[in-house]
Amino acid sequence: MANFPPVRRISIFVGNLGSGKTELAINFALGLAGAGRWVALVDLDVINPYYRTRYVKQRLESLAGLEVVCPAGELLQADVPALSPAIYGVFADVERWGVFDVGGDDVGSTVLGRFRPHLPVGDSAAFFVVNSFRPRTNTVEKVIKMVRDIERAARVSIDYLVNNANLGSETEPAMVAEGHNLVLKAASELGCGIAFAAARQDLATGVQELLPGVPVLPLQRFMLPPWERSEE
Amino acid sequence: MPRTLMKGNEAFGEGAIRAGCRHFFGYPITPQSEVPHYLAKRLPECGGVFLQAESETASINMAYGAAAAGARVLTSSSSPGISLMQEGLSYLVGSELPCVVVNVMRGGPGLGNIAPAQADYYQAVKGGGHGDYRVMVLAPASVQEIIELMETAFELADQYRNPVMVLGDGILGQMMEPVDLDGEGISSIPSKPWAVTGTQGRTTRNIVNSMCIVPEENEAANLRLANKYNKIRQNEQRWEEYLVNDAEVILVAFGTLARVVKAVADRARDEGIRAGVIRPVTLWPFPDQAFEKVIKFAAKRFLVVELNLGQMLEDVRLAVNGRRPVHFYGRPGGVVPTVREVMERLKQTSEVTDGGDRI
Repeated sequence: MANFPPVRRISIFVGNLGSGKTELAINFALGLAGAGRWVALVDLDVINPYYRTRYVKQRLESLAGLEVVCPAGELLQADVPALSPAIYGVFADVERWGVFDVGGDDVGSTVLGRFRPHLPVGDSAAFFVVNSFRPRTNTVEKVIKMVRDIERAARVSIDYLVNNANLGSETEPAMVAEGHNLVLKAASELGCGIAFAAARQDLATGVQELLPGVPVLPLQRFMLPPWERSEE
Repeated sequence: MPRTLMKGNEAFGEGAIRAGCRHFFGYPITPQSEVPHYLAKRLPECGGVFLQAESETASINMAYGAAAAGARVLTSSSSPGISLMQEGLSYLVGSELPCVVVNVMRGGPGLGNIAPAQADYYQAVKGGGHGDYRVMVLAPASVQEIIELMETAFELADQYRNPVMVLGDGILGQMMEPVDLDGEGISSIPSKPWAVTGTQGRTTRNIVNSMCIVPEENEAANLRLANKYNKIRQNEQRWEEYLVNDAEVILVAFGTLARVVKAVADRARDEGIRAGVIRPVTLWPFPDQAFEKVIKFAAKRFLVVELNLGQMLEDVRLAVNGRRPVHFYGRPGGVVPTVREVMERLKQTSEVTDGGDRI
């Protein structure tokens, strides 16, 4: 993670429903933890009860230095907009690095608004994740509209776009590069930067060759359907 | 649109639009809320109507109205909401109205939970409302298949003037897969001379109604439905086969669970067990023909796997009709079995007796 663009203490991941925020946030947090930081990964997704960070809490916490902040006990699997009081601790504790996995679209980002007074000024960054193969973010215009809708709902300004172009199991490095062009254009119109591109572990090297100079975050997949999970 | 990464719930919506549907009435409920979420944005873009009703009861009756006016119409919900729609479904059938209903099943009974389940099989295929009726039920297993079966659903609904249910579970609704959205979809829908669209110069009015006060007339109406259902049974059975030709043991599963079960068949073959899979795509009409075929081949026993306590199991037993043992493995309440768990159950199956097992 050393060569990544400015990493602030609080990193917030927002984006379109299904843009890959959860996988990205998990891997980003693992990267920070791997660099020796004390990391809290906050599950702020209150609109989608499937494929959430909280379901891999145990697995992630067995990896050193990572703590998953999410509702406790039976609320873990409840379809209620419950938020853990421990979230305030992440903002307040300057020793801890917070990675926030926010729900999708403007509706999912609304929850972020209530925490705005707690965001450390100058020490937080909002990342908007773009998968150009998703129907609501497959043109520059749609990306810009989605960014504006989310900024309004979340009451934060997007600092960086993140290129997470993928077609699931069919992703090839060229697709990530293709998506990068769209994200570049959108970033230029929005007047913000591109923080990095992300690609599945086995594709990361190929992507890096096509996108020289762009930081590439290799993604280990955590959210898998039952028939793809390795034996439990 | 080129190849696109879609959520199952989005595909229910996009598939409907491609099938010429421009009317949606529904109410949010997990795990299908992305269907209305997607259509609320998408339908106005193509001149359609999205309306969030005040309840599922209202949704299904709004669908009745749109169908009576000749529109291709969709509603969607998840288990408890589908329960609320049962009265409306019976009225749609009684009035011979085409309509597509999506059920993204969750764990029940009652409020249950939001985890994936298949416990509404009985309700879907046996009819949860009153009266002697059937609803055609389609069960996709991938996001691409959702797109394809939504078109099939609207075509069957219009062809037979009967509601069609598309039945999935929470995994299917929430998972993302690449899909092909080639072409523009359907641009015209069949003419519906029975629809309530004004007399248009005729001297007689079209009336859409399920009331039939005289018993003999109601009997005739029921027999007309029976005739329709016999045609559907003969012509519309659909299923997928996987490695069945030499299979001694046939696993039977529908929807996303069939993907777990296919992985089990692969594992079994690695261990020297000749296993195959029948995946019913139409749950009603149930694909009896698939079972006739594999019994003629090599099938010595069956193992039905469901996310419930044994519902499709009954239809498999009717299709096999005592000719082979039919075993069962089910996980109710929102739990999805692992490949290893199904594999262990497979190894316990006997060619001598099924023991009448349910769970």
